Amino acid sequence: MSNTRLIPLIIERDVRILFSDAFLVAIMFANFAIDLFVTAATFGRLVTGQGANYFLFIAPGSNLITAMVAAFQSGRDVWREKYIKDLTSYLLTLPVQRPVLAFSRVLGGVVRSVIATFPGTLVICYLYDILFTPKIFVAYLIVGLFSLGIVGLSMAISAFSSSIETWVTVRSAIQLYLSFLSALFYQVSVFPSFLAPIVSSNPMTWAIQAFRQLSPIAFAQVPAGDSLGSIATLAGPSLAFALLGTICYIWYSKL
Amino acid sequence: MSSSPTLGNGLSKTAIAEKSPTHLIVQMALRDVSVLFRTPWIIITRALAFIIQLFVFAFLISGLIHIPGLNFFEYYAVGSVVATIASISFVIGYDIFEEAEEGVLDYLLTLPIPRREFIIGRALGGAMRAIIYTIPMFLIVAFVWGFTQPLSILTALLALFLLAFGVTGMSITVAVSVKSANRFDVVLALLELAVSRGSTALYPITFMPFYVSLFAPFSPVSFAADTARMSLVGFTLDLPALAGLVAFVVIFLGLGAAFYFRRLEGGIYG
Repeated sequence: MSNTRLIPLIIERDVRILFSDAFLVAIMFANFAIDLFVTAATFGRLVTGQGANYFLFIAPGSNLITAMVAAFQSGRDVWREKYIKDLTSYLLTLPVQRPVLAFSRVLGGVVRSVIATFPGTLVICYLYDILFTPKIFVAYLIVGLFSLGIVGLSMAISAFSSSIETWVTVRSAIQLYLSFLSALFYQVSVFPSFLAPIVSSNPMTWAIQAFRQLSPIAFAQVPAGDSLGSIATLAGPSLAFALLGTICYIWYSKL
Repeated sequence: MSSSPTLGNGLSKTAIAEKSPTHLIVQMALRDVSVLFRTPWIIITRALAFIIQLFVFAFLISGLIHIPGLNFFEYYAVGSVVATIASISFVIGYDIFEEAEEGVLDYLLTLPIPRREFIIGRALGGAMRAIIYTIPMFLIVAFVWGFTQPLSILTALLALFLLAFGVTGMSITVAVSVKSANRFDVVLALLELAVSRGSTALYPITFMPFYVSLFAPFSPVSFAADTARMSLVGFTLDLPALAGLVAFVVIFLGLGAAFYFRRLEGGIYG
């Protein structure tokens, strides 16, 4: 069987793992709903004078946080395969080249993440009034591209964490960085100058900026125009992290 | 030579069995405290999360909030301590779930400790380690905002301890009710998110959407946050909130104990 025919099969396996417990997908949506309709809605009422609706400003963040959680879940599954289920030997017997297997696992994680955030992305598109426009495809592209980097990162962590404590610790640290040291809640200019480079290099900053640029609403300090520039910037770290995840997966597959 | 250790072991077991229930409960609780502090990375990341939330997130966002009479930075500071103690109290559930998965629970059940003391000890241990863990954060907040009244501080700490005790019971209930590891992870995370975000810990109730403001006053995190704030800032005692906290503790400790006992005696360990 050619590699191109094997990739969808590997992705399908990962998607089946996701749906082996549909309850998990429902819980992820519940997380998104709490983030959006409780936290973001309340901050939307608290923060005023930003030139635009603050709720809409931070709304895509709820969806990107869900994407981040789903992407880390893929890494967690890879970790469980290695340390709990001891599936490494079995996976190596599959008739597929290791680089193809590794990259397909990353792609599988991206597909899972896009599926998990599918309803959330629809909600954000509705709020941004782009539900019935071609921009909806760009919205899914942003979620997919953002997830690509996070899945890569989470698979890289899985390769090097021998204990669940280490895995959870590194995941929490990355989640803190992505959530609070990004433009998710405020503009980059709000940060002290020494933090600005950290915030500007955060994939979340570019993902959320790309989302905001999809909206017809002009948010203060968000450059007007299409999202292509932000998407292109987001693609850099995402592809780099995906490559890192692939390399680490191949490395960890060696017995 | 060979008989000495056996005799010693026999004596030691008799000695343990004869110890008072209170002593056994404290022994179990101390074990849980030492378990948490043997995993320093969990402590470091949660402490880091607290510091970043308070000194980055709350500091920056309070600059965007211009509401007369509301010092959001101070409001969030007290609330973040309450949310952190709730968060760390949930960790006992992960420990209990892991113990069952890895077979450590089988070992624990061979200890000469009656089931009742075992369960109460676990709940107390969860609460004790949460309060020990949170005290440095509480002190930072007390120092920065000048909360110096000893009685107010004691009342706030009592509210935090009650919250930790109740959340521990809730976490144990979930840990022994959910079988799948993945499902357990997300259910606990959702529960943590729901009780913290749907509460008055992080934002005042007047700014919540109507549908949230209906149930937020009944969140245990709200009870603790309101009690702590009233005592630290207003120097008064919020008796209804304190009563709510006690009710929460009684309900979830009872539930947690009942579920845990059922699992130990009638479930896979029966």
